[in-house]
Formats: sequence, structure tokens, C-alpha cells
Amino acid sequence: MPGLFPRRSNLFGTVVVAASIGAISFASIGLGAVVVGETRRIDLGSKAAPGIDSIKSQYKRPATIPFPKENPYTPEKAALGKKLYFDTRLSVSMAQSCASCHSPGFGWGDGLAVGVGHGMAKLGRHSPTIVNAAWGAIFMWDGRLATLEEQALGPIEAAGEMNMPLNQLMDRLGSISEYKPLFAAAFPSEGMSAKTLAKAIATYERTVVSERAPFDAWIEGNEKAISEEAKRGFAVFNGKAMCSACHEGWNFTNDGFQDIGLPSKDIGRGEFVPGVVKMQHAFKTPGLREIERRSPYMHDGSLDTLEAVVEHYDHGGVDRPSRSDLMKPLGLSAQEKADLVAFMKTLTSNLSPTAVPVLPR
Amino acid sequence: MHKTIAFALVVLTGFSAGALAANQMVYQKGRVFSSENVSIKKGDALTFVNDDSIPHNLMSATKGSEFNLGSQAPGTSTDVTFKEAGDIQVICAIHPRMKMMVKVTD
Ligand SMILES: [Cu+2]
Repeated sequence: MPGLFPRRSNLFGTVVVAASIGAISFASIGLGAVVVGETRRIDLGSKAAPGIDSIKSQYKRPATIPFPKENPYTPEKAALGKKLYFDTRLSVSMAQSCASCHSPGFGWGDGLAVGVGHGMAKLGRHSPTIVNAAWGAIFMWDGRLATLEEQALGPIEAAGEMNMPLNQLMDRLGSISEYKPLFAAAFPSEGMSAKTLAKAIATYERTVVSERAPFDAWIEGNEKAISEEAKRGFAVFNGKAMCSACHEGWNFTNDGFQDIGLPSKDIGRGEFVPGVVKMQHAFKTPGLREIERRSPYMHDGSLDTLEAVVEHYDHGGVDRPSRSDLMKPLGLSAQEKADLVAFMKTLTSNLSPTAVPVLPR
Repeated sequence: MHKTIAFALVVLTGFSAGALAANQMVYQKGRVFSSENVSIKKGDALTFVNDDSIPHNLMSATKGSEFNLGSQAPGTSTDVTFKEAGDIQVICAIHPRMKMMVKVTD
């Protein structure tokens, strides 16, 4: 992924030249093998706005968890992955586990503005929840990792986080006798390696799914499951406020990258796609399940409450070239803002408690 | 300077004239490409239509064939001409599930 745009390419030079010529209107030009023509308006015809039943049908919970062909589910893998997930010996200090920052007690986040890494040093971004990671298209706020297996190893190795070189980790786990049979049961032909460790943790993470919330009961037809206020909020969410343009579907994200105009210096996705204006300050859209338990909010943890988040979107944030074209002042009334918050609170499930596993010695 | 402008204009109008030919169309409604694999002849263009309700940002990071349409508004279309044979991956920078391959043949 880091090699996606190794250099800005001559494409950029061309755009600058074109702009200095003036008067020619098109998005950009390519040089060499690909030539981009001008952009024209087309007539899409007028579409009637979809009715409430049609909108609701887009929010049905899936019946099964998707597991990749390369790493199918087995109960042995998930059980091993759970022990590894909660094992502080995965960090060099033996003080942090995956669960330190992605804790079931805080909607699988940490309840802090930004994460805390090795040596109690603050990290640059808010610890994202792992709820519903099984449905993720791409991982990390900046999308730098392609699979949940890669993601599982990222924080373990990162110097600022768990700071644990993988060779050293596998030596350490190899000396804990009770881990050997667990790996052997989960990976009979592969044994114990950083790769199988990642597969086990990813398998466990995929089993962490938000449970049924009042919202789901309403989607399935129980009109009494949520308040009238929340129903109005759902209409604003899909209509006037256009939240659903990005917070799409049952998990409330399409995993897209958007600059939503937060006044932070962090360029996010832009680090990996330097040539693309709209990716500067862009971060992956988080899902909204269990959102009430996941404060503070945003990639930098800069907003304390759901009310503050709604205010931010109503205002539209910092107007800059990278800001998403979907961000603009919304002109929401006090009632509409309150309705949106009421709606988001219907996404909180009655999470059953997560038992911390007994760890191998 | 004037010469440069004239040259640039000629080249650019030349390309947009190509838009009149019946290009293969690629649509993006619902954050999905209408086809994941498209085959075209060298020198032909694809017309990328944003018939969705939100902006997309099509681009390619395939070496030698890099391009970037920038933010493409709903209700617009853009022609992209492929001048060299090869397999080119086109993605949307915004939506990571949007990926397609363009096979450019001699
Ligand atoms: Cu897109």
C-alpha cells in the first residue's frame, strides 16, 4: 500500500500547466498512456425520492458473518484468537493487549480521545472500535492495511503501540507451554507463526458483531421499538442531512474516505494517495453501531458528544479544497438535531458481557 | 507562450472530438461499477458516467497509466482515452470497494 503513489507522477505538472493556460474547464489531464477528456453534464432524469419502506429495506442485518476463503472460521481458531486478543504478553511491556485499546467495556474502543501506546505515550488518533470489523473493506483510519489479518499485526509491531517485534513475540509465546496445543488444534498443518497468530486474532475479531438494537426491531417491523423522535431522526439522516451518503447500510458505513472539515493537521489517507486532492485530510467513515458508548468522537477524538458531532456537520467544517463536496451547511433546526441524536441512540444494543478468557501459562 | 496555448488547445479539442464516437460506458450508481472488466482497443475511450447520487473520484495507480478524474459530480460524465495496451486497474479513491480492470488490446 505505501507504494501506491511512489511519486506524484507527471500528471501533476500537467494539471498545473493546464490551469495556468486558464479558460479550459476539465477535472484534470493525464499524460502519456491515458488521456482524460472534458467532463460534461448529463441528464439523469428526475427520480422520485424513495419511500420509507424502500429506505428501511437497505438497513436489514445480515444473517451470517463473512469469513474470507483464505481464513475460514473454526471454533478452535476463534478461541485461540480470543486468548491472544486479551493477552498482555503480546506487547513488549507485557502491559497492553489488543483489548487495552479495543475494550468490550467501551463499545470495543477505549473511551479516550486518542489511544495510548508504549510507555503511556499518546497516539495521534482515536482508537477505532473493532465492532463489525468482519464487514470492513479496508482497515485503519487511513486505510493503510488491506485485511484484518494485516491489521492484527500492525499495532503489535508498531514501535509507538505494543512495540513487539514479531520474532521476539513468537519466541515468547513458544515458551508458554499451554499455547502450543491451542495453535496445533487451530492450525493442524500450519503450526505456530506470526501468520497463524494474525489469522487467529482476525477470526476472533470477526466474531465481534453488534447485537440486536432497538433500531433492528424497528427495521423488522416493530413500530413501537423506537420513539417517534428517533423515526424523524432516521428520516433526517437519510434526507436533509444526507448522513447516509457515507454512513450507509446496516453497519452505517461504506468504508469511504472523506475530509469532513475537522481542523486537524493530520492528512490521513492523503499520506498514501498524495496526488489526489480529495484524499487530503480524508479518513475512513466509521460505522455507527454502539455509537453512544464510543465517545469521544471523530478520528482525533475532538468532539465529546453526539450533539457536538451533529453541530459540526450542520456547520460544515473547514472549507478547503480537500473537503468532501458532500460537506456544506445543512441548516438543521434544533428539533432535527435532537431527532438525529435520538435516532443514533437506537443503535445501542443490549450487549451481553464479554468474559475475559483464562490465559495460557 | 502563445504557441504553447494554441498547441494545447488543438490537442485538447482533438481529444474531446473523440467523445462523439460511441464509447463504452461505465456507470457508478450505488457505489458499484456497472462492469468490473472492460475490454477496449488501444486509442479508444471509455465514458465514465456518475449516475450516482454522490461524488466519486476515479483514478488509476497502474504504472505508466496513472490518471485522476478528481471529484466527479453526480450527473456528469468524463471520457478517458487509453493509448497503450495493457491491464489497467481503475479504482475510486473514495470508495474502496469500487475496483475494475480495463484491458486495452492492440
Ligand atoms: Cu466512489
